[in-house]
Amino acid sequence: MRLHLRWFTTATRYALVEHGHNRLAMVLIALYVPAWVTLAHLSVSPAPVRFRLWETGQLLVHRGNDLTQISGALNAVCLITGFMMFAATFASGTFDRRLAMAGYSRTYLALAKLASLAIAAAGVASYATAAIRATTTLQQPLLVAAALFCAAMTYGALGVTLASLLDREVEGMFAIAMISVVDIVLQNPVISSNSGNSIVLYLPAFGAVQAASAGAFSTTAPLHCLGVQFLWFTAAALMALFAFHRRTRNALPPTAVADVPTS
Amino acid sequence: MDVHHAFRRRMVLRGVSLELGTGMVAGVVGENGAGKTTLLRILSGELRADHGVVHHRGRIGYCPQDVVLNNSLTVRQHLAFFKVAFALADLRRAEEIMETLSLSQYLDERAGVLSGGTRQKLNLTLALMHDPQVLLLDEPYQGFDWDTYQRFWDLASHLRDAGRSVLVVSHLAHDAERLDEVWQLSQGVLRPRTALPS
Repeated sequence: MRLHLRWFTTATRYALVEHGHNRLAMVLIALYVPAWVTLAHLSVSPAPVRFRLWETGQLLVHRGNDLTQISGALNAVCLITGFMMFAATFASGTFDRRLAMAGYSRTYLALAKLASLAIAAAGVASYATAAIRATTTLQQPLLVAAALFCAAMTYGALGVTLASLLDREVEGMFAIAMISVVDIVLQNPVISSNSGNSIVLYLPAFGAVQAASAGAFSTTAPLHCLGVQFLWFTAAALMALFAFHRRTRNALPPTAVADVPTS
Repeated sequence: MDVHHAFRRRMVLRGVSLELGTGMVAGVVGENGAGKTTLLRILSGELRADHGVVHHRGRIGYCPQDVVLNNSLTVRQHLAFFKVAFALADLRRAEEIMETLSLSQYLDERAGVLSGGTRQKLNLTLALMHDPQVLLLDEPYQGFDWDTYQRFWDLASHLRDAGRSVLVVSHLAHDAERLDEVWQLSQGVLRPRTALPS
């Protein structure tokens, strides 16, 4: 048990150290998140916009700039956590493999990545929620933060998967940015007043957009939408685990080593 | 034994067999692109051979040709990470190797800011710190200055005396005099080499 705990705490500590050294990500969190939501509030028209809450069928009518703040915050947290996890996984790909071949539990290496993602996502989601609250009153700030957290977790897991599949860093950055833009922009009620229907139901951040918008400007709690977002995260995390498992496997069968000391 | 490997249509290893005895420092030499690194990657378990089997007597220490470190972590953090990986009780062995390679002074430096030679010292330390029975070293002295290069070979001699099996990949013919046995890898075939050109 102590060994398992040591595997987990050591790998998590160093995963967080690695995130902490990603200075671009730290700058993006500090500046990009508040800049995005503030600019959205100031520059987008406050004219009323309709937004359909899929779970209740309720048609939400609210200021366009406030609704765009929610989209902007979601876009920012998805991009930043996706980028952070992609950068960390891409940079430490061969290092993780070396650790695994040295005997480090791959399960705990993967769990440590998940834990570091959860800590980063919680921090970014809380910060983004606070940034929105600086200019806009939120009906259910905890629900907004939870929705941002779930979206960040989903994109973080996507970042891990992409880092395992792509050969160049720039490819991953473009992939995350493009997926995020299509995903969030198509659901922005200012652009698509019909959002909540048809194709947007199947977008990776659909559940988070619905839950965050409902949490921001209504008193309903669309837990089903949060559940949908959790399913997206689970699917992305399973893909990431599969890719991580393939990349860190030892090609030697266990029988190849005949005299392994147990200590 | 009888290891074959190809990258797409390019056949790199065509039935390579070798046996590494205890208490010896052996070498694989060959031109660039001869397949030396591919052979070591297969022996270490990093790469799966298309055909053939690999047997080891004990724990492996593998020093890859390309330095594999985490640029965000310090030397000390690398050692702590691998101490857990190897389930070591202490870092005495790592400290001895670092003293030999003059690496101790960089304990609190991040790997990302170290020079190429110093990174290679850490790369080698991580391969040796658990005192493995079998050592697979792929050009382990790249970037070393002359003194460190000499100390590396002293270290290899001590490992031989301690009964370890050491396989060094090199493209430098003048290393051959330090080796107990030398194999030449050419056109995917490994042959014992008894006489080397000066």
